[in-house]
Amino acid sequence: MTDARVQRCLQPGVSILVGTVDPGGVPSCCRAIAIASDDGLETLTVYVPVATSQEAIRNIALTKRLAVAASHPVDHCSTQMKGTTIDTRLARDEEAERVRRGLDAFADVLDAIGVPRRLTRGVAHWPAFAITMRVEEMYDQTPGPQAGTRIR
Amino acid sequence: MSVRLHDIWRCFQGVVPAIIATADRHGTPNVTYLSQVHLVDERHVALSRQFFNKTSRNLDENPVASVEVIDPVTLQAYRLRLKFLRSEKSGALFDTMKLRIDAIASHTGMAGIFRLIAADVFEVVSADFVDGFLAEPPRDEPAGASLDGKRTEIRGLQWVSERINRATDLESLLSSVLAALDEYFGFAHSVVLLHDETRQLLTAIASRGYGPSGIGAEVPLGDGLIGTVAREQRLLRLTSLEADLRYGRAVRRESAGGPALLQAEIPLPGLRDAQSVLAIPLTVGSRLVGVIAAEDRDPMRFSEWDEAYLAVIANQIALGLDRMIERCDENADPPPPTTVAVAAPPPPPLAAKRAARRVTYYTSDDAIFVDDEYLIRNIPARILWKVLGESQRTGRTEFSNREMRLDPSLGLPAVKDNLESRLILLRHRLQEKCPDLQIVPTGRGRFALRAEAPLELVER
Repeated sequence: MTDARVQRCLQPGVSILVGTVDPGGVPSCCRAIAIASDDGLETLTVYVPVATSQEAIRNIALTKRLAVAASHPVDHCSTQMKGTTIDTRLARDEEAERVRRGLDAFADVLDAIGVPRRLTRGVAHWPAFAITMRVEEMYDQTPGPQAGTRIR
Repeated sequence: MSVRLHDIWRCFQGVVPAIIATADRHGTPNVTYLSQVHLVDERHVALSRQFFNKTSRNLDENPVASVEVIDPVTLQAYRLRLKFLRSEKSGALFDTMKLRIDAIASHTGMAGIFRLIAADVFEVVSADFVDGFLAEPPRDEPAGASLDGKRTEIRGLQWVSERINRATDLESLLSSVLAALDEYFGFAHSVVLLHDETRQLLTAIASRGYGPSGIGAEVPLGDGLIGTVAREQRLLRLTSLEADLRYGRAVRRESAGGPALLQAEIPLPGLRDAQSVLAIPLTVGSRLVGVIAAEDRDPMRFSEWDEAYLAVIANQIALGLDRMIERCDENADPPPPTTVAVAAPPPPPLAAKRAARRVTYYTSDDAIFVDDEYLIRNIPARILWKVLGESQRTGRTEFSNREMRLDPSLGLPAVKDNLESRLILLRHRLQEKCPDLQIVPTGRGRFALRAEAPLELVER
C-alpha cells in the first residue's frame, strides 16, 4: 500500500469507524464524523458526536485502546489504525467547521451512490468529542485476501 | 431503548453497510465494515465469512461483538450486542448466504475466488435504538401490508393463474404473465429466460420494460446473477445490488494475481442502474424450465414478502410453461403442404419496391447476419436458413413444425426440443433487426414466411 493510499484516509468524504473495548474485553463501535492529522499520521484525531459516543468515551477512559478505520464508500479502499488514546476532550468551537465539512463531504459521497444528501445531513454531529490517538499500528483493510496486511 | 429485530428488518437488507467491532484476547479492538448482516430469527443473526481475517481471529479468541446497523430509509442506527455461537459450512442458512455471494462473485468475474467460507451465527444479546444518532427523530411509515394491499395480491395471484390457464400458445402465456406482474405488482422491468438443456444455457425469450433488445440474450448456467440462480435452482433477492457490486469489485481489484487472471465482468441483463434484483428459478420438480427475473432502480423494491409471494407465482408459471412446451412438442401437426398454403396471404407487392436484403449464413459460426448485422445463431438460425432456402427453391411460404422436427440437419433434440420457444425467439429477432422479413404463425404448428423485400441468400 502506497503512502498516497494511506493519505486517502484523511481525505474528505471518507467513512470513519471507531472501535473501543471495555476492561472485560467487550468491544463497542460508533461512527466518527471527521478525522485529522497534522504529523503524517503519527497521531490522529477523530471527532465523534457526543450523542452517540458515550460508551466509546467510557471505554477509552478505562482502557485507552482505540481502533479507527477510514474507508471510501465508493471503492472500499480502507485503512485501519490502532493505538493508544492520548487525549479526549470536548471539541472546541473553532473545530465545528471541520466537523461540519466532514459531514458535508460524506453526504456528498453517499449522495453519489444513492443515499440522499438530506438524510446524511440529518445525522447528529455536534457537539462532538475530539479523541486523539498515538498511531501504533496501521493495516490495509480494503476487502480482499490482503485485508489485514500490516503497513506500519 | 430495545427493539425487535423484525421491526428493523430493513437494516438487514445490506443497503447501508453495517459495522462490527471485536477485540482480541489482549483487549485490542478491531473495527470494520460488514457487507451484510443476515437476519436468522428474532434472537439470531449470521455474518458471512469470506476471508480468514482479523475479525474471524478475534471471534475465535473472544466471542463477543458489537454491530451497528442502519435503516436505509430513515438512516437511524441500531446497535446489537452479539455472542458468537458457531460457524456453519453447510445447510440451509449457509446455502442461502452462499447463493448471494456466488452470484456477485460470478457477476464480477470472481467465481471461486470470492466465496463464502462460513456463515457465522451469533446470538443477539441485545438490540437497541441509538438515541441521538439523528438530529431529529426519524419519520417512518407504518410497517406491514394494508388490507387493500393483500386483496390486490390475492387478485394478482388469481389474475396470473387465469392468464396462464387461458394462454393458447407460449408467446401469449409469456407476455400475459409479464403484463400481469407489471400491472399488479409494479414489476416494470422483467424478463423470462428458458433453459436449453442441450447447450446448458438460458435464452431470454420474453421481456417487459426493456424494449425489443435483450430477446435472444444467452446466459450460461452458473454465469452472473441469473446463471447462478439457474444452476443452484434457488431464488435470489438482492436489495443492494450497487453496493454489493462495489464491494465485489473492491475484492476483485485486491485479489492476488490481478484482474488479468480473472474473467470479464458479465453485463447486467437489463437496467444499467438497477439497484435491486429478484431472480426466481422456474422449476418443475427438480427440472429447471427457466428463470424469471425482475429489476428495479429502488434498492428496497423487493421485500421478503415479494420473495415468498413470487415463489408461489413462479411455480404456477413454471407449470404453465412446461405444459405449453409439452403441448407444442406433442402437437400433431398436419403434414406439410405441397403447394403454397391457402391460409397464407401472398407476399405483398411491396417486395419489389424495397431495397434488397442480403442474408448471410456463416456455417463456421452457425449464425445468420442480415446486411452485415448479427441476427441469430444456432438452431433458430438453421430453421430460418432452411425455410429461406426452401422458399427460394420452391416458392413455398408456409411451413409446419413437424417438418422442422423431422429434419435432422436442424439438430433439434429428440425430446423437449423447445421448437416453439425457438420460433418465438426467431420472430422477435426478425421484428427487431429485419422487419422486412417475418415468421408469422398461421395456425397450430404452422407458420409462414413473409418477405417484403427481395432477399439475396449467401452461404459462407
